[in-house]
Amino acid sequence: MSDMASQNTAMVTARNVSFSADDQLLLNDISVRIASGNITMVLGHNGAGKTLLLSALHGLISPQRGTIIGPARQKQKMVFQKPILLRRSAREYFEFLCPGLDDSTVQNWFQKAQLGPRMTTPARQLSGGESQKLALIGALASQPDLLFLDEPTAHLDFESIGFIESQITAARKTGTTIVMTSHNRAQAERLAEHVIFMENGRIVEMACANTFFSSPQTQAAKTYLKHY
Amino acid sequence: MEFLTPFKIAFSLLFSADPELMAIIRLSMTISLSAVACSLLVGLPIGAILASMKFPGRQAIIILSNTLLSMPPVVVGLIIYILVSQSGPLGWTGILYTPYAMALAQTVLVLPISIALSRQVFETLNTEYNPLFMSLGIGRWQRIKTLVFDARIALVTIALACFGRAISEVGAVIMVGGNIRHVSRVMTTTIALETSKGELGIAMALGIVLLTIALLVNVASQFISAHFKKAGLDV
Repeated sequence: MSDMASQNTAMVTARNVSFSADDQLLLNDISVRIASGNITMVLGHNGAGKTLLLSALHGLISPQRGTIIGPARQKQKMVFQKPILLRRSAREYFEFLCPGLDDSTVQNWFQKAQLGPRMTTPARQLSGGESQKLALIGALASQPDLLFLDEPTAHLDFESIGFIESQITAARKTGTTIVMTSHNRAQAERLAEHVIFMENGRIVEMACANTFFSSPQTQAAKTYLKHY
Repeated sequence: MEFLTPFKIAFSLLFSADPELMAIIRLSMTISLSAVACSLLVGLPIGAILASMKFPGRQAIIILSNTLLSMPPVVVGLIIYILVSQSGPLGWTGILYTPYAMALAQTVLVLPISIALSRQVFETLNTEYNPLFMSLGIGRWQRIKTLVFDARIALVTIALACFGRAISEVGAVIMVGGNIRHVSRVMTTTIALETSKGELGIAMALGIVLLTIALLVNVASQFISAHFKKAGLDV
């Protein structure tokens, strides 16, 4: 599928989505269309609603208002900012995330992530970078159509960041649509094709990445980028 | 009687592996281990269901099982006695004054412990795992299977807690077992009987065995918790 054609297809669409908890409006009338085969970066200050938007699009929370249309559950994956690690070995955890793979495929993924020697280590004993890499390969191994990444490289070292970014790029090339959040401007500029900028639970600006970073349209985005 | 005499008799009985003493210890262990196995078999799935599913009456079951935690053993003994006595609904089984009735009483006593403790463990895990389960679209039964597997270490310590409670039970088992020599006499009921007869030697010997078991259960529980916490497998 060409880039042009893929951009015309929506992978996930949200219409007038609002979500509140404890009498607080956390997502306010969100309407968004995520184009197929692109990397969409959700940016904004802490508490802007980025993670909540990803959770809503992925179906982890049920908004009180609005509709979300996306691919089937089996076709989408999410990697959490802090991976939820089961109490079992790294390999067993990987197989839980992506069941049904043969032994050599599993070995290949672990080698690729340089986690080969850690296959039998309890997942919860892996370092932050290792567990994030494990969660990512567990999501990618099933070749999802849609992948949500919530700050996948927060607090990681350069090596882990490099691996995760290379896998994100590779997944995008094979047609996976990626929606992610990041607090790292350089990373956002490296990876993003589209940007959704949020503030106080609202989408303030949506644009192509180049346009957003070079000439943001709203004052909120300009202020954000000044300190980003 | 000299103060140390019961201790001397006790150690002599233990070191000579007195056949009657050994039979009592064996029967106690068999009954309590059976009761623990039954209570876990029934209690763990109930705990897992209560922790991971919402359904009408769930809160009532939680309140009931928590209430049963503090049910006096003699009341349990009385209920089981009524149930299995000749005119009771389970009278046809003919298990009154047999080890089966004693195991049943101990099962009923430790069942609330296995439900309450396992529910807590499963609830903690379920809260932690829920976003992952939802993200992966994990179904109800695989969810329960995952919770039980990942709580396996905690479940061992729950089993030890249940065993500690079961093996030390006296009130209920004496009522439904009858404390019949060579049939339904276990460590706790023998201690009660022999003490009332002034035969402190055998009572002391069994007391030492019970204390040793309690000590071993605690040491095992501590060891398992510490070892698996280090391995990141604790809950």
